[in-house]
Amino acid sequence: MMLEVKHLRKEFGGLVANGDISFELRQGEVLGLIGPNGAGKSTLFNCIAGYYKPTSGKILFEGRDIAGWPPHLVTREGIARTFQGMKIMPNLTVEENVMIGAFCRTHNREVAKKEAQDVLERMGLTPVAKSLPPGLPIAIQKRIELARAIATKPKLLMLDEVAAGLNPLETKEIVQILQTIKEEMGLTLFLTEHVMEFIMTVSERVIVMAAGNKIAEGRPEEVARQEKVIEAYLGERYAKGR
Amino acid sequence: MNCPYPDTLRNQMELVVQLIVYGILMGMIFALIALGLSLIFGVMNIVNFAHGEFLMMGMYIAYLLSTFLRLDPLFSLPVAAGAGYILGILSYRLLIHRILRGPMVAQLFGTFGLMLFLRYLAMYIFTPDVRSVKQGILVGKTLSLGWISVDASKVVSAGLCLIAFAAIYWMIYRTKLGRALRATSIDSEAAKYMGIDTRGMNALAWGIGGATVALAGALLAHFYYVTPTVGMLFTLIAFATVALGGFGSIIGAFIAGIVIGLIMVISGQLVSELKFSFIYAVYFLVVVLRPRGLFGW
Amino acid sequence: MRRFLLDIFSFDDRPRFERVGFLLFLLVLLIFPWIVTSAYGRAVAIKFLLFALFGLGWNLIGGYGGQVDLGQAKNVGFGAYATALMIVWWKVPFWLTILPGMVIAAAESFAIAYPMFRLKGHYFAIATLCVALVWKELFIFWDWTGGARGVELSIRSGADFVYMQFNSPIYYHYFIFFLFLLQFFFMNWFRKSKLGYQVQAVRDNEDAAASLGINVYRTKVVNYTITGGLGALGGSFMAVYYLYIDPDAVMPLDLSILIAMTVMVGGAGSIWGPIIGAAILIPLDMYLGAWLGAQKRLGIDFMIYAVIMMIIAAKEPKGIWGIIERVIKRQKR
Repeated sequence: MMLEVKHLRKEFGGLVANGDISFELRQGEVLGLIGPNGAGKSTLFNCIAGYYKPTSGKILFEGRDIAGWPPHLVTREGIARTFQGMKIMPNLTVEENVMIGAFCRTHNREVAKKEAQDVLERMGLTPVAKSLPPGLPIAIQKRIELARAIATKPKLLMLDEVAAGLNPLETKEIVQILQTIKEEMGLTLFLTEHVMEFIMTVSERVIVMAAGNKIAEGRPEEVARQEKVIEAYLGERYAKGR
Repeated sequence: MNCPYPDTLRNQMELVVQLIVYGILMGMIFALIALGLSLIFGVMNIVNFAHGEFLMMGMYIAYLLSTFLRLDPLFSLPVAAGAGYILGILSYRLLIHRILRGPMVAQLFGTFGLMLFLRYLAMYIFTPDVRSVKQGILVGKTLSLGWISVDASKVVSAGLCLIAFAAIYWMIYRTKLGRALRATSIDSEAAKYMGIDTRGMNALAWGIGGATVALAGALLAHFYYVTPTVGMLFTLIAFATVALGGFGSIIGAFIAGIVIGLIMVISGQLVSELKFSFIYAVYFLVVVLRPRGLFGW
Repeated sequence: MRRFLLDIFSFDDRPRFERVGFLLFLLVLLIFPWIVTSAYGRAVAIKFLLFALFGLGWNLIGGYGGQVDLGQAKNVGFGAYATALMIVWWKVPFWLTILPGMVIAAAESFAIAYPMFRLKGHYFAIATLCVALVWKELFIFWDWTGGARGVELSIRSGADFVYMQFNSPIYYHYFIFFLFLLQFFFMNWFRKSKLGYQVQAVRDNEDAAASLGINVYRTKVVNYTITGGLGALGGSFMAVYYLYIDPDAVMPLDLSILIAMTVMVGGAGSIWGPIIGAAILIPLDMYLGAWLGAQKRLGIDFMIYAVIMMIIAAKEPKGIWGIIERVIKRQKR
């Protein structure tokens, strides 16, 4: 069992962003996380990645409780993540951006450079390696962020709305890239997404959140039919109407 | 006055009361100085490194009017306020609005550059010589209230600061213009959609900020040295005050001003060479331990 | 070992014209004292190298680190006082006083870094100002450091390599040139090292840096500590060059401002920026200042500089070097 989240709770002052979340993630799986806005998906993500400290609960990664660990330690343990808003380093070249990721696993610049170049090659980014990121198309920037995360040699890769802002063609490309890397590196994927087509096709299993709690879990097609899920997205009338 | 206590103790008590009075008076002036800074920060989230230079300009206006036009320094108050207002608006229109959208380092450079420009402009025009205002109704006179004696200039300055403070407070909380300002500071995007001229509000904030602190400068000139380098000191005092009171809070600026005034006076009594060090230390402690200050957001 | 040396001395990752330009620059500086024989000219060169030295050190925190530090003068002061006092009290040879000065400055920076890096941006800048001003007031207040009277180093005759005192500016020129080269090559190593990359990553985006395994806080603290140590080096030089130091000479606010300004205008975050900045400001300051000073009109040089800075803030935050790079990129098309 790669990741076990047990009764995770996160409060912000009086607001309960995550009430009581529990789920498991097996090695090699692709798990999706969906839910309407405000459901608490980002909070869950950030708790696991170390940006928020859970109010209570456990997050077991390969058996170790990493709840409350700071982000850099979480990454060193083997969990990498991408960001919704794309946090690229604008003053470093694409290659240097990816090198930063590679430096997580080495002290040596030559090694980091070689690693970075490898990853860039696999992601099809070699043509822009020496360019500065600002000004490059969004789809490329997303790939850069992905490349950077992969360079840290993670076991679990968490993707925060990686398909946001991409057109269908670009989305297909990302799907292909993800599948390739997953196989090559034996990755486990945990994604959160609003673009339904993307996440429902890519995920083996899906968790649905609403109002801070998990309301459904299962295979994508099963979950999509559940009354609770439809209710969460579209309201009671539609749920009952089915 | 019939006092039952022995002489030395009475002297000490008098000293303490004197210090407290002095501290409060200075504090009110600091409060006014801090007000402009807090306002600018509240409305557009930029920190004005050049704040103290506007004060310095106010001081020089008082000096010039009193020395060359032989006007009483009190007449320089409206002139200083007006000049401060104009300079504030000019700064905004020529420089600040261009750097608001930029990275924060650019904003820092920008107001920092403005500070340097004004500081060395003053040094060029006036030379680094120390000057002072020598004549005026209030200059050098003392008032006696019971067994306390205070400089007349400080009392009147504090009083005027209080009035100015109250006026600004009234404007911000009781007028339509003030409401527009507050709206801009809470959410400038939304304010724009409501039809508020946010650029105008920004400029106004700079104008008021400049006016109030130049006014404070003209008041300070009654009893403090006038040099081109005095700006940075008061910028820092203003920062410490605003930090303590809470960035964006007007009441906070007032109370913090008084506290800072008291701290300066008391530490000045204890270790006079370090009296400003205590204020700097206050800034440091406040921002590290309680960044919100007393009343800020 | 070989790779370590290569890292320090190679500029393979920079375009050829930069390498050539730098070599020319070094050459000019090497023969400078023999071409320019006026005492004033030589003094300008020495001051330029000193401020290039200061700038290189400050660039670590201000350029690569992206945090504007307005209190570097305190570190200069630590170095200057450490050297001066050790020479005056215990007759310690100059070269042995450098390390203690740097260690003291680094230690103080380390200690202060922990609370200070809770702050960002403007608040951080003001905090650095406050710390530096407090130290200056302390040094004035303390008697054991000489207080406001300062420390005077006794004059020795002839060329003294133990205490680095000479009667001709030529020696001082090569002395500061040597220190400058030391720091320059350190910077060259730094910008290519893991720490250098991590510092820049933190500057550009803290959250992302953390997600890539970087301990953001520790990186900032280490960077600031090193900057402190480097500032002290220039201070030690000042002690034996001016032979008299006091808090107003080695720790004033104006010095901190000057150092920060030089780098910001030249181009913070690039290895050439501090050199360019110093190359413009120092001669401007010395020549314009001397000419105007004779007519008792100080300040125009700084005014010009301030205007440049405001324009750069509005147009090109990467400084003059940034402008040069942009022009070159446009030419390439």
